[in-house]
Amino acid sequence: MKIMNIKHTVTALALGALSLSSFEVSAQQENYFRAIGTPHQPKVEIAWNRYYSAEGLWDLMKKIAVAHPKIARIESIGKSVEGRDILTLTITDFASGKDTDKPAMWIDGNIHSNEVQGGEFSLYVAWYLTEMHGDNEFVKQLLKDKTFYITPTINPDARNNFFKEPNTASSPRSGMLVLDNDGDGKNGEDRMDDLDGDGHITMMIRKSPTGRFIKDPLDPRRLMQVGPDQVGEYEMLGQEGVDNDGDGEVNEDGIGYYDPNRDWGWNWQPDYIQRGAMRYPFTLPENRAVMEFVWKHPNIAGAQSFHNSGGMILRGPGAEEDLNTYNREDIRIYDAIGKKGEEMIPGYRYLTVYKDLYSVFGGELDWFYGNRGIFTYTNELMVSYLYFNKEAGRGNQEEQLKVDQLLTFGDAFVNYKEYKHPQFGTVEIGGFKKTFGRAHPGFLLEQDAHRNAAFTIYHAYHTPKLSITEVKEEELGGGLKAITATIFNERMMPTHASQDLKYRIERPDYVTLSGAKVLAGFVVEDADMKKYKEQTHSPEKMAVANIPGMGAVQVRWIVSSGSAYSVTVDSAKGGKASWKK
Amino acid sequence: MRKHLFFGLLLATTICGNSFAQSDYPTLSQTAQRIQKLSANHAVELKTLTKTAGGKEIYALKIGTGAKDQKPAIAVVGGVEGYHVLSVELALQFAEKLVGENAKALESTTFYVFPNLSPDAYAQYHDALKYERRGNAVAIDHDRDGVAGDNGYRDLNGDGLITWMRIADPMGDWTTSKEDARVLVKADRAKGEAGKYRVFKESVDSDKDGKFAEDLTEGIAFNKSLSYKFPVFEPLAGDIAVSQLESRALLDYLFEQWNIFAFVTFSPANNLSAPLKYSAGDARKRVVTSILEKDQATNAMVSELYTKTVPAKAFQQTNQGTDGDFFQWAYFHFARYSFSTPAYWNPEYKGKTNAEANFLAWSDSLKQDTFVPWTAIKHPDFPNQQVEVGGIKPFKLVNPPFEKVGEIAKQHNDFILKLAAMQPKLEFHQLKSESLGNGLTRITVDLFNNSPLPTHSEMGTRSRWLRKLRVDIDVPADQLISGDKVKLVDSLGAFEKTSFSWIVRSKGPVQLKAGAPHAGFATQTVTF
Repeated sequence: MKIMNIKHTVTALALGALSLSSFEVSAQQENYFRAIGTPHQPKVEIAWNRYYSAEGLWDLMKKIAVAHPKIARIESIGKSVEGRDILTLTITDFASGKDTDKPAMWIDGNIHSNEVQGGEFSLYVAWYLTEMHGDNEFVKQLLKDKTFYITPTINPDARNNFFKEPNTASSPRSGMLVLDNDGDGKNGEDRMDDLDGDGHITMMIRKSPTGRFIKDPLDPRRLMQVGPDQVGEYEMLGQEGVDNDGDGEVNEDGIGYYDPNRDWGWNWQPDYIQRGAMRYPFTLPENRAVMEFVWKHPNIAGAQSFHNSGGMILRGPGAEEDLNTYNREDIRIYDAIGKKGEEMIPGYRYLTVYKDLYSVFGGELDWFYGNRGIFTYTNELMVSYLYFNKEAGRGNQEEQLKVDQLLTFGDAFVNYKEYKHPQFGTVEIGGFKKTFGRAHPGFLLEQDAHRNAAFTIYHAYHTPKLSITEVKEEELGGGLKAITATIFNERMMPTHASQDLKYRIERPDYVTLSGAKVLAGFVVEDADMKKYKEQTHSPEKMAVANIPGMGAVQVRWIVSSGSAYSVTVDSAKGGKASWKK
Repeated sequence: MRKHLFFGLLLATTICGNSFAQSDYPTLSQTAQRIQKLSANHAVELKTLTKTAGGKEIYALKIGTGAKDQKPAIAVVGGVEGYHVLSVELALQFAEKLVGENAKALESTTFYVFPNLSPDAYAQYHDALKYERRGNAVAIDHDRDGVAGDNGYRDLNGDGLITWMRIADPMGDWTTSKEDARVLVKADRAKGEAGKYRVFKESVDSDKDGKFAEDLTEGIAFNKSLSYKFPVFEPLAGDIAVSQLESRALLDYLFEQWNIFAFVTFSPANNLSAPLKYSAGDARKRVVTSILEKDQATNAMVSELYTKTVPAKAFQQTNQGTDGDFFQWAYFHFARYSFSTPAYWNPEYKGKTNAEANFLAWSDSLKQDTFVPWTAIKHPDFPNQQVEVGGIKPFKLVNPPFEKVGEIAKQHNDFILKLAAMQPKLEFHQLKSESLGNGLTRITVDLFNNSPLPTHSEMGTRSRWLRKLRVDIDVPADQLISGDKVKLVDSLGAFEKTSFSWIVRSKGPVQLKAGAPHAGFATQTVTF
């Protein structure tokens, strides 16, 4: 009786609490209205107008996985140089099938540590898909069909260094391996020095009778070059720092000179050919972790890597020498998706790395495509077009000064201030902050994240989708039947890129007939003209080299018995499909 | 008492070991014992770099005395091809003789010896089934059909050797050689010659794809999987360069050893009996595929030294490097002087032009048993055709009878020691210290490379993985009136000098130091 009582009380209390909190929520709800395109009342609240350290990203990733256990899982795929985890979210509707049974999209960010917003943009994709899943039919179906593997930072060590240590907008680009940049036998003995202690490495200038610059009388932030016949007032001394090792040079041996995006194993070249390369492909544990994950997930058919900056949707080849790797059939698909991206993300241009940017070996996108046949883009996030909807060009100082005057009200610039330098005497230190220029200002982050996320979703949508659209039976007499199955791919990407077909990178797709005695099996080359290609070995499991995008293949069997049979399709990049009589 | 007993036993085994003269190439356990024995020497530092997928050790021996990381070093490499068993024995004998009769060389040079980089494949020489194997023990789908290793060799005649099979077939490309009817050659169709046989390695078509022995039950070949001209997607190479435990462990180790200036690799490739050829066009391209001009001159000089030291004629030698191999990697990607030789060639005999006919004629003259006569067998894939198994026994074409190894080793040990004697040698000359008055002294000196070898290969001057020559003057910054406290010099050519000058406000003495680990260091005390 007593026990009963307690139970009642507990229930009553719980009910009370529930009604109280739901009352509060509904009271608040009256004041919030759903904006189109954005998750309403998300389970995980994320502020999209600031940046997160590696730990900050992971905390949000873990919250997403906890809040959405049926569609999100988190795992560590490896360790960084300093022993941090490389964390990956797997997002798919697990109830509709294993992640590895569906065509998948790989998304990563921040391979260059200073190119930070790839972390937030990748996370946005995960957040958008999980929070929208309950509300949106398109997303619901997408997660039934596809898997997303999302790794917001594949360079967590140096991401943290960028935020927490003094840096410029371009440092560090590498990870945290400290190497001998100047070749004197010592590693990292003359790094940048944050002389004014503000966390930003800016510029040093000095008054000098032979200087060739003056400060703009209308804007003292701006240094102007004087004319050839004019006397100046200031000279430039370079980035904030001192000569720590006494070799007569300033800041010449920072963290490693290497570039994690020269480390990938497709037509890899050593440092003297491709500056920034390490010892051999995948020297870096962060990249190796990604490579090994991709190997274990042959279902990955599309990939996206987020960099900054300049507003570009890039495809390979990275190196001119790799021109023949990309052939016309695949370029048509690259073009179709890339050009759609230009429409979706204002200010971004669809370009080819080797001819529009620079010719480079050992990049991530070339490895994904050349070595694994995965359609891959690199987006260079943030374009100055977003400031004033004008094409002012990359790193336009005039425009940046104007932005900081009209939009950020001085928040982007460290005003010049005097400093007693041990080697240069009295200098002035100032300039743009590390988080300006390449990184988005807060008020532009969410919109651009959404547009880039939409682009990767469009890309993922066009990974193959296979279905068995028709199974036709013909009586051949004498107890024999011909069964012809049509397998349709209702998306743009083929199950095998032409690069894949050229080198037989991935196994063929298998179309299997079970429940019937198979005497012969054929791939149909021309149904009307009855042209068939026989497969003599195990004809019940037909190997099909490729199922083209927006196209179909047919296979045909001659069988002697079996009325209740089934057909299954098993494709590494195209997923699975089945049909049953 | 116990100690004595143990020592006695040890002595007994040593004596026994020596008294049984080795009659064949050693097993892996025998090489391991010899390596352990070497490691007892005070000059030898033994390291196990990793274990292969087959569970076999990859050993590195660093042999040197004193400041051994500051002396120029030569790396001697064996077993880059598992079937080239001679190479392992040569590397080991070099190490054994080095710590014994040649120990004087350690005063100025450090040596690294990597006896065997393909132990998984090497083991096949002593296995019940013997064949010339290249790959390690990982499972690889060489024919890319979705199933790893599903069409390896098959010992059809049960002799424990994998040789060849020939199928009588007028549509085949092969016929018998006019120089020796046992030998098969391609029919010369241009001259209207008909074929008689199809020829494959001894196998059955176990994966039913119409091909034979195209998906071997062995893994990645060390000498086909390095990063220079990596033959991506080819059998035995895999999908990614330097993908294997042993290749990564070796390279990681080498990249930490800054003092290596040259490699001598025992492998089928050869740039010692004749130097590599220089192609201006290929040397100028972004991806360099020709030896650079100055390095070619060095190669030619070393090649001359080799042919004077090793009298054997390089009969029908055509291999000057193959894609993904080690010897070219050491030059093109590691920027060190890199030399390779098979160390042994079958002698030219009775004017035969076909290499196999020549070998058989010579081998017959010595009454050696090197051929499996063609014998008919029943083959499941050719039920209605005549199939015969036979051919030259595995290993015989590239490895000499073991009793010849001693002489070959001696010649090659001599060559390596002569190469070591040529190493870059930095010296200070023309030292002057002049008083300028008021406590100021001007120091001038020449730094001279007293060697026929440049301190850096031309390739090395482009690479970050060779250190520059660093010149240090040991005075406090405030006493250095002019001149660089630290000066980096890109390289010094053969017998080339460069001059330095400093003004110091010091009573002395002042220390000068110049060099790099792979070029050695010179030091000089200046007193005034």
